[in-house]
Amino acid sequence: MPKRLSNNLRLMRFLADEMTQAELGNQVGLTRQTIAAIEAGKYSPTLETAFRISEVFGKPIEEIFKWERQNDES
Amino acid sequence: MPVKEQFARVWLITLLVTYLPYFLTLAIAGDMSALQQIALFAATVTVQIVVIGIASAVMAVRRKGERVSDERDLAIDQRATRVAYQILLCGMILVGCLMPFNRSGWTIFHAAVLSIAVAEIVRHGLIVSLYRRGWDA
Repeated sequence: MPKRLSNNLRLMRFLADEMTQAELGNQVGLTRQTIAAIEAGKYSPTLETAFRISEVFGKPIEEIFKWERQNDES
Repeated sequence: MPVKEQFARVWLITLLVTYLPYFLTLAIAGDMSALQQIALFAATVTVQIVVIGIASAVMAVRRKGERVSDERDLAIDQRATRVAYQILLCGMILVGCLMPFNRSGWTIFHAAVLSIAVAEIVRHGLIVSLYRRGWDA
């Protein structure tokens, strides 16, 4: 079964005072569209960007990004 | 829609609406004088430059102050360019290494233009496609 990178960025943004995609993008150096693509699973960020995102939310990287089987995705 | 995707769409449409009539005219018209061929090529390139120039200016005004590109744009562009380069390389081998032995003049020129146009169409088509269907490699 193929695995893929999933994330709970949307939940993290919601918990961070409903941070917008544009605000998150500005903080990590991405466009709003790229944040939307990451949330939709259409783009996997570089490791450096993943660390920058985890830094913004003050969470370890594995709490935001998960390497799991496709059908395990909720 | 990302700025780079919008730009790729404009490029793709412009290339199709300029080079398709260009090569159709060459195929239908048959023997054309050198002056006619130069005029046709000049008209095609002029239309392309004007459309791309206007589109670039409009997009620059609309997106003033907004971040234009990031790592995803760069990654998509690199992937599309890599594929287009292979096509261009094949075209140039044909044009530069094989055609001089059995073709001449304008035929070689048009074949070179065709190689460039096809490579660019594939490049911009791939960019649009990669933005639409996503890319996680």
